[in-house]
Parts: sequence; C-alpha cells; structure tokens
Amino acid sequence: MNYPAASAIKEIWQKDPRTLAATWLDNRQAQWDVVALRRQCPCAECVDETSGARKLVPEQIAESVRPLVIRSVGRYAMAIEFSDGHRTGIYTYDLLRKLSQQ
Amino acid sequence: MSLLTRIFKKSPNPLPPPPPPREEAPKARPTAKTAGQHKPEQLGGQALSGVRQIIAVASGKGGVGKSTSAVNLAYCLIALGYKVGLLDADIYGPSLAIMTGVGNPEEMQGALVVPPIHQGIKMISVAMFASASSAQILRGPMAGNMIKQFLTNVAWGELDYLLIDYPPGTGDIQLTISQTASLAGAIMITSPQEIALADVRKAIAMFGTLKVPVLGIIETMSYFICDSCDKKHFIFTQGGGAKLAAEFALPLLGQIPLAAEITASSDEGKPLSLHRTSSPAAQAYRAAAEQCLSELGRLSQQNTAALGSFTLHWKQ
Repeated sequence: MNYPAASAIKEIWQKDPRTLAATWLDNRQAQWDVVALRRQCPCAECVDETSGARKLVPEQIAESVRPLVIRSVGRYAMAIEFSDGHRTGIYTYDLLRKLSQQ
Repeated sequence: MSLLTRIFKKSPNPLPPPPPPREEAPKARPTAKTAGQHKPEQLGGQALSGVRQIIAVASGKGGVGKSTSAVNLAYCLIALGYKVGLLDADIYGPSLAIMTGVGNPEEMQGALVVPPIHQGIKMISVAMFASASSAQILRGPMAGNMIKQFLTNVAWGELDYLLIDYPPGTGDIQLTISQTASLAGAIMITSPQEIALADVRKAIAMFGTLKVPVLGIIETMSYFICDSCDKKHFIFTQGGGAKLAAEFALPLLGQIPLAAEITASSDEGKPLSLHRTSSPAAQAYRAAAEQCLSELGRLSQQNTAALGSFTLHWKQ
C-alpha cells in the first residue's frame, strides 16, 4: 500500500520571523503564517472533539505569538510548541496541506 | 531520572554502578546555532540514530500470533545477515522472554539501558523490568511513557531493522509508538476468521491515518495437517488472509500453518526459525521476511527524499 507523495515533507525551514515554509515530496511549495497556525490549532482544547466546533477564540491569540520548537510526529504530522505555552496541537500533514497558502 | 532507569534500578538484580562516560559517547547533536538557525536538525536521539528502519508487527486482534511472528521474523532477518533489534511493546502481556529465553539487561551506557543480546538480536521487553508473575498495572500515560522510553532510552546502536511487536488494539500505546518512531512500515498479522479480520481492518485504517505504509499480511493458523492423513484442515475457515490482502491491495506475505511445534517451540524459548529451520512454518516465515524486505526496498526508493524525524528551533 502506498501513500501519496503529498503526505511527506522533503524540506522544512523558517522563512522569516513569522512564516514557516516547506517543500512537499511532490515538490509543491507551502507556506504558513505561524500566527494563523496557532489560531487554527486542531487540539482537543481548541476544537470540541465531538462537534468539531472551534473553542478557541482567534482574537484572543496575540499577533506576537511564535513557535519555539517544531517537531515531527511519526511520519504523519508535526507538533508545534508556541511561545504562549500552548503545545498540544498536532498538525497532520493532511491538515497542513489544506492550510497552506500556496 | 527516567521511568525506565527507575524501574531498572528497582529490579531484583542489583546493578553495577554506571560506567564513566565513554570517549566515544555520542557527541551532542548539532544545535540550531551550529547547523544554521533556520534549518531543522535531524532527530532520532542517540537511541534511534543508528537504526536504519523500524518495522511494526501489529494486528489489532489479540492472540493471533503477533509475538510468535515477530520473534520468527527477527530470526529470519538475522539469518539473512542483517543487524536486528526486537522490542516487545506489549506492556500488559509481554512474551518475548518466554519465547526466546533472553535474559535481563545488565548494564547502562550513560542514561541508556543496554539491551541484552540473544542469538545476535538486541531485545527489550517490559518483562525485563518486572518479575514474570507480577501483573503490570499501569494507567495509560505511564504505559505510554514506558514505551516511549523503550524507543528513546535504550542503546539500540547500529541496526538494520528494529521490529516492534505491537500490543493488540488501536489505542494509546499504539499511537504513542507511531508518534515517537518514524516507522518504515507495518506488517499485519491475522488469523483467517472474520472476527480477527474485523479488528485487523481497524488497525490497517489506523496505520493509514498515521501514514505508515502497510507492507503486507501474514496469515497465521492457516490450516492444520494432522499426523495420519496429510490433508490440510482449515480449522479457522479458509482464505481470510487472502481476502484481506485483496481488499486493501496488499501482498499476502505468508500463510503459517497451525502446528504443535510452533506452540512448543515458543513455550520452550526455542523459536522455530532458529532451531527448526526446515519446518514448514519456519520456511513460510523466511519467505515472508524476504518479501517484506523487497516491499521495504520498493517503498524507500519512492521516498528517498522524504525527511525523517526533525526538530526545528524557531529563531525569535
């Protein structure tokens, strides 16, 4: 069983103070605004697990929030530890693919 | 002190004091500063950095022969000339020690537990950190922690393949392993009957979600040949493994017969693939192991450019 190349990352880097960039395995480029990523955190604290409704209020997340560390999780996702102390979000590559600006 | 070290220190065999740090102790990983601030460092930690590929042996269903299969596959890989490790991740029902007769770890290398080596295979099991008769009573987070440390606090060293014998189910522990290690692939074990297939389907779906490629299916307890008639008796129905393989377009890696010698060899700690290599079951495992490797080879050719584990420190 093979998985589409979309679900793997070839390269990942910090493009500027608030932009994360990556190249997918199929060579598509991706960019994310890190503040937007924090506001779209998919964790159970930020999204209601049963209804899928967003519990997090985007306006309450400061524009100054930044990642501290970004770590791969298995081969399907990455976890981002943010400067506001939030660290439970696991961003799957499928989700990141949807959220990317390119 | 890590959980593993603490349990290790409490174990009945008193430990020699940890040796002084060795000259060749792994050097500090390049930090963001030395490696260039915006690029990620390759992770894996000291424990897994020398492991080429990690393979899950899983099922979803209990009692289908996962551990028997993991042990036999490990011996087949050793016989093929590879460096192999075997991690028994079944916290609540570890069976590696009984199946192989492996001893307990006896030394530490810095903060890492040195796994005992049995017939060339480095082995770790929760049973090594508790007496065989005492049940492991651990809540989810503790169990998850322990498994994580089997991956990060064990001196696995240089290995071609680290096989992980998964516990049954699709819960916390299975998720923790799949999140901690970057698995190269998973081998699914099933017996032929529908009640087993149903659980294996769920496990295949779990690996799908986690983007872990499934290498193929090994069917155990496929048939029984009795002493007097040489006829194959399909005790648990026929063709379940093949049906599942067709459903998911996966290779059927092998069909392992139901044989008293498999049970006996496991109970005696003398795995078939080591002691009775000419038996039909051992031959079937050998063929399955070879096919797994060719599947892995095919997959890694497709994914050579993919980034494995990484850590990216954000430049503020």
